[in-house]
Amino acid sequence: MTRSLMAGVLGLLMPALALAGEYNISVDRVIIDTGDFVKEGIGYNGSSPGPVLRFKEGEEVTINVTNNLDETTSIHWHGLILPFDQDGVPGISFAGIPAGETFTYTFPVVQSGTYWFHSHSGFQEPNGAYGSIVIEPKGREPFRYDREYVVQLTDKHPHDAGRIMRNLKMMPDYYNRKQQTVGDFFSDVSEHGFMTALSDRMAWGDMRMMKADVEDVQGFTGLINGKGPDQNWTGLFEPGERIRLRFINSSAMAYFDVRIPGLQMTVVQADGNNVQPVNVDEFRIGVAETYDVIVRPRTDEAFTIFAESMGRSGYARATLAPREGMEGPVPELRDAPLLTMADMGGMHGMDHGSMGMGEDGMSGMDHGDMDMGGDSMSGMDHGVMPEQEEPAMAGMDHSNMAGMDHGSMMMSGNGAEDPFYAKGSGLVPTAASGGKFLSYADLKAQKPLYEDREPTREIELRLTGNMERYSWSINGIKYEDADAIKLQYGERVRFKFVNETMMTHPMHLHGMWSILDTGAGKWNPVKHTISVQPGTTVYMETEVDAPGQWAFHCHLSYHAASGMFRKVIVEGGPEQGNTAGVEQERVGGDV
Amino acid sequence: MKLSKFGVAVAAMSLSAAVFAGGTHGGGHDGGFGEAGKAEDVSRTIQVEMFDNYFEPEEIEVSQGETVRFVIQNNGSLVHEFNIGTPKMHEAHQKEMMMMVEHGVIQGGKLNEEMMNMDMGNGHTMKHDDPNSVLLEPGQKKEIVWTFSARTSMEFACNVPGHYQSGMYGDVNFDAGADAHASAH
Repeated sequence: MTRSLMAGVLGLLMPALALAGEYNISVDRVIIDTGDFVKEGIGYNGSSPGPVLRFKEGEEVTINVTNNLDETTSIHWHGLILPFDQDGVPGISFAGIPAGETFTYTFPVVQSGTYWFHSHSGFQEPNGAYGSIVIEPKGREPFRYDREYVVQLTDKHPHDAGRIMRNLKMMPDYYNRKQQTVGDFFSDVSEHGFMTALSDRMAWGDMRMMKADVEDVQGFTGLINGKGPDQNWTGLFEPGERIRLRFINSSAMAYFDVRIPGLQMTVVQADGNNVQPVNVDEFRIGVAETYDVIVRPRTDEAFTIFAESMGRSGYARATLAPREGMEGPVPELRDAPLLTMADMGGMHGMDHGSMGMGEDGMSGMDHGDMDMGGDSMSGMDHGVMPEQEEPAMAGMDHSNMAGMDHGSMMMSGNGAEDPFYAKGSGLVPTAASGGKFLSYADLKAQKPLYEDREPTREIELRLTGNMERYSWSINGIKYEDADAIKLQYGERVRFKFVNETMMTHPMHLHGMWSILDTGAGKWNPVKHTISVQPGTTVYMETEVDAPGQWAFHCHLSYHAASGMFRKVIVEGGPEQGNTAGVEQERVGGDV
Repeated sequence: MKLSKFGVAVAAMSLSAAVFAGGTHGGGHDGGFGEAGKAEDVSRTIQVEMFDNYFEPEEIEVSQGETVRFVIQNNGSLVHEFNIGTPKMHEAHQKEMMMMVEHGVIQGGKLNEEMMNMDMGNGHTMKHDDPNSVLLEPGQKKEIVWTFSARTSMEFACNVPGHYQSGMYGDVNFDAGADAHASAH
């Protein structure tokens, strides 16, 4: 109340400067119809997803959020740079919005691009509490388009998210439908020999993981802008127009591989920040990430936006068409990737010696012995793939194997390489068209946001977990047992993520930018969410320029809720002292 | 692998020079797309500014047969190209530009001149010296004199990978004056 009054007074004082907008959002119980099932959930202004909030860079926004639920809620403005007490994380930024009350957020909009918002309370977000934010820039953008659409993805599950969490805790493979069976074991034996198959299985058992754990929550329906595949959300265009698609992945758990057969996409923005344009045929969007692409359909036909989940357990589908009701062909789901030993390269405590795979194993290795896995490569015949041979084989030479002391394990992997995946990883994506698949390595800032400088120090964050107990942590310590990470205002911290699990973790630091180290120096892209693949180490740097306290967590809902979460406290800085009044209570279940 | 691919790149680039010289192939337009002009025929100068990633202006008007001097200034912070041609020519040229990026000739805001001039064998280089285009580092200014002898569908474009697709091109509009080939395309 005081806050909005203050803003009002300020507005009166500088009428010429202030561009101000007031927005009202209600948090409601809603019905979500995916076409596959109908489910009660949570939404904004009566629907899930909520509205597209359209702000202008430089605007002072006032957002009145009225909680019509019978429990506390909150809204986090994902990716927005704002005062920490407006960030919307109960227990860190503020106390939350009690049932029946209205909370007024006010903050200046200091950036532009595509973002989103969601509840940071309990499991309200996977239950439907999310929407999108589009911020128009002050100046001209480094690209142009004739029309634009938000394309917001989610993985809507028929089970309530709280129930999913309970089931995972009881039985971590509860939602894993792609487990390998005894039959798979015997087929591995016949293909690879008994010892190799057996030691492969034993190794996976040691990890407390199963080979097919690419997605640990399956059984969802992929939605685009709230529409299931059969409901087919459709965006209209006139042939020849340039269309900007603002992809947002608001899933609880699912990564999506996105393509539009027949159209090349030019990626112009990642996580709201402009990147030097990259032409791609397909891209993988991590949970909480955004990618803006420009497409230009020139013909009078319908094109399918097809988003397969990374583990191929579900998909979302929408259409771009010149007229309502037109449909393009819908592709089949590709085969699910299988994790390989390389995806466990970072696994702690993995005892290679006990696998009995010494020299003997190595010497018996030849191409015929290896499971080249991957859809395209199985049954590979060198003779019939003249064009692909070189790149495919490049991934298989001995220099690449040097780093892998488990060479005779079934090294699935499709021969594709990406520096942001472990060598020989089964997860390296390839484009369905055979063309270009976006890599983090392709992302270069369009215009560096910060001056490039040496980091003042490095902080190592090992991403850890025990799949058997469905417990996820950082440096082996869960959120409720961990001390906050303390940063000093004005420093530039280099974070080293070491993924010691076999799952991909989209790490999201609130309040400050994450500068992903791709080796491009000052052109390193600026993001808010960084995916760390199994068995890899990824670095990001953060200019510590936002005082207060912030959340820092894996954005997979059930990982964050089970402990892969930290509080970050920024000490010093212009607004030192503001943290004093903030409630210190920890709310472990908040995502 | 690298070497053989490079060979292809070089071959493609030298081929393009031949195409431009012939002026009949790349665009698929029998009338060509004009030719390098002579300074003494220049009737006017058009200033084109490059930014990241767009041109100002984004369309120009010319008359068939007119010879124009383009003064092109790169006011962005990335390398940009100014290339006059048909949309199809631009599409073909984008593949060559992709190779220039892959081989480190174009590096964000810098051009690797050494790499461009390096002899790749057979006397081929990755020089970007076709008369219908210039490649500019940030801050650079260059000129092109072009005679618009053929009335056809033309654009000026930056074919640095992704730049054309994100909108860095402009239309060349032939003025409304009566013209025998007006209906060609």
